[in-house]
Amino acid sequence: MIKVKNLYHSYSNDDKYAVDDVSFEISKGEIFGFLGPSGAGKSTTQNILTGLLQLQKGDVEVAGYDVKNIKNKMFNKIGMSFEQSNVYSKMSGLENLEFYGKLFDVKTRDPMELIRMVGLDGKEHIKAGKYSKGMKHRLTFARSMINNPELWFLDEPTTGLDPAIASHIKDIIKEENEKGVTVFLTTHNMYIADELCDRVAFIVDGKIRLIDSPKELKLKYGEKLVEVEYFRNGELVKESFSTVVEEERNKLIEVIKGNDLQTMHSKEATLEEIFIKVTGRGLV
Amino acid sequence: MKLWYSFTKELVLSSKSWYFYIELGMAIILLLILVFVVPEEFNSKGNEYLFLDLPQVVRDRYRDTLLEEDLDETAEMVEVEADKTIFNAEMYETEESKIYLLDSMDALNAFSSSERVPAVHVHVNEDNQIIHTYYLQGYETQKLKNLLLVFHNRKAGYDVIDDYSDNIIVRSIYQDIEPLTDRQNLIPVFLTFNGSLMSLFIISAYIFLDKSEGIIKAYAVTASTVWQYLLSKIGVIIITSIATSLIITVPIMGLQPNYPAMILFVVTSGFFAASLGLYITSFYKDIVQAFGALYIVIVIMIMPNISYFTPSWDPDWIKIIPSYIMLQSFKEIVSLNGNIAYVLVASLGFTVLGLDIFILANHRFKKTLTL
Repeated sequence: MIKVKNLYHSYSNDDKYAVDDVSFEISKGEIFGFLGPSGAGKSTTQNILTGLLQLQKGDVEVAGYDVKNIKNKMFNKIGMSFEQSNVYSKMSGLENLEFYGKLFDVKTRDPMELIRMVGLDGKEHIKAGKYSKGMKHRLTFARSMINNPELWFLDEPTTGLDPAIASHIKDIIKEENEKGVTVFLTTHNMYIADELCDRVAFIVDGKIRLIDSPKELKLKYGEKLVEVEYFRNGELVKESFSTVVEEERNKLIEVIKGNDLQTMHSKEATLEEIFIKVTGRGLV
Repeated sequence: MKLWYSFTKELVLSSKSWYFYIELGMAIILLLILVFVVPEEFNSKGNEYLFLDLPQVVRDRYRDTLLEEDLDETAEMVEVEADKTIFNAEMYETEESKIYLLDSMDALNAFSSSERVPAVHVHVNEDNQIIHTYYLQGYETQKLKNLLLVFHNRKAGYDVIDDYSDNIIVRSIYQDIEPLTDRQNLIPVFLTFNGSLMSLFIISAYIFLDKSEGIIKAYAVTASTVWQYLLSKIGVIIITSIATSLIITVPIMGLQPNYPAMILFVVTSGFFAASLGLYITSFYKDIVQAFGALYIVIVIMIMPNISYFTPSWDPDWIKIIPSYIMLQSFKEIVSLNGNIAYVLVASLGFTVLGLDIFILANHRFKKTLTL
């Protein structure tokens, strides 16, 4: 669905690249996470893929279209949810969606269905300017689905949302993905990436340092240990067992069988820990 | 179809914005100024203050001469104030001026020194010659001083000057054109600045408002094009310009102007001005940054006004400033039997130029969408 080869971009038109020799491919139906701290080159890459920034150097194909010569028809297949909400503040939520629906050449979704989907029903006739930040964000998110996109660009889709709504938004992303929608997710939130993405790319200083699935990364970089808390002779004991050493695996089975377990955790690494390990940088 | 949707959306949004009502409100204010403040014709008569320090016989002859030139052939007794003192005076009103004969040298001094107006002391010298002593204020031109010297030179006396001026033939080149009244003469200025050129600034305001809300980015990732977005904005601005132009013109000029030509010219010149505004806007992030460039454009566009109101100052370089052509075109449009061919050529020129600038602006906006 997306093919990027040797992509470069410089805002100052010199060799100070904001995006430096970036290459990756995304298959149809995949959720691909583009992860990195602020200023890493995530948004620049996304803006090039969506035509908001002109391609300077490299080969980019999006939804079967060469980004060097963007055709407007390409946008019939693309949906884009921006990090900063950008809706017409003097139009109601419903009017916003109705207007954007008219700008595509394909069959569009019922604006009210989308309003309901993001939990704005009952507020659809209120001017978007009077919406809270979270409501505007949800409206921007809903708008990105108006044309039934095959390829969905999501820039920090849960930023600024309360946990319940963020969870609901994640469910929508999963549902759409199950229908076959390819998702390009830009975020610095490793938890949402871990939960949603089939594969993630770590980008720092304009360069991709690593691309793999969260599961593989955890296996590769995590410690293969299980930490157990249990009562032995009335005392709370905390022990770690290797999941690869045969002797310790047997010992773990004995502990599970013969004791009252309080807690048990696998000691796999989080994406954030892996990111720091790989890039030597934090995510903020 | 998308252009139509964008246009109607912009029209609805404009009707909800302040800019729209500011433009209409300004047009109404300008109309009220024209109707209630600006006279049909400006009073260009100068005031002249004289003290006739002459023997009675000579003074009577002087008065008789003034009476012959007076519009109603009667002198009016008036009170005039200078240096907070009231003086009596005889007032004679001719076609060119109002002449006040003051009753004392004190009055003359008061007018000359306190009111800072030129005053004339007419008196007789020892050789019984009539002497005119002018108390000038320092701002008079050398031409005026020379004229006074010639006028009072005995070798070129009144008879010679009268004879010379009587033989000057004044002939109007465009005999079928009725000159505009002073009030009507202001309409082309208002149409140029409130109608056409305001598009330049209003479109900047609209674009920067959308930029601050990120609307352009959202529009750019739809199957619609940037040029449709830009043109829909221009369309709305032109509609407003047509409305404001009619608000100003119809009540003052009635059916005299060539309205089809006027609407055509408002559309083409407005398109040019709005495209120029778009092009300037494409270089900046917000209106604060753009203000410097917009200010320079404002100053340049205002300059042809000087030429419009001072026809003797009409250098070639000022004729290439677009507002000069706009002023002249609107003048032709509102004049009886105006030169519509000039207006049509100017419209064509603004269309071609506007289209070129619009293409450039569209190209710039495509490159700077994420600014």
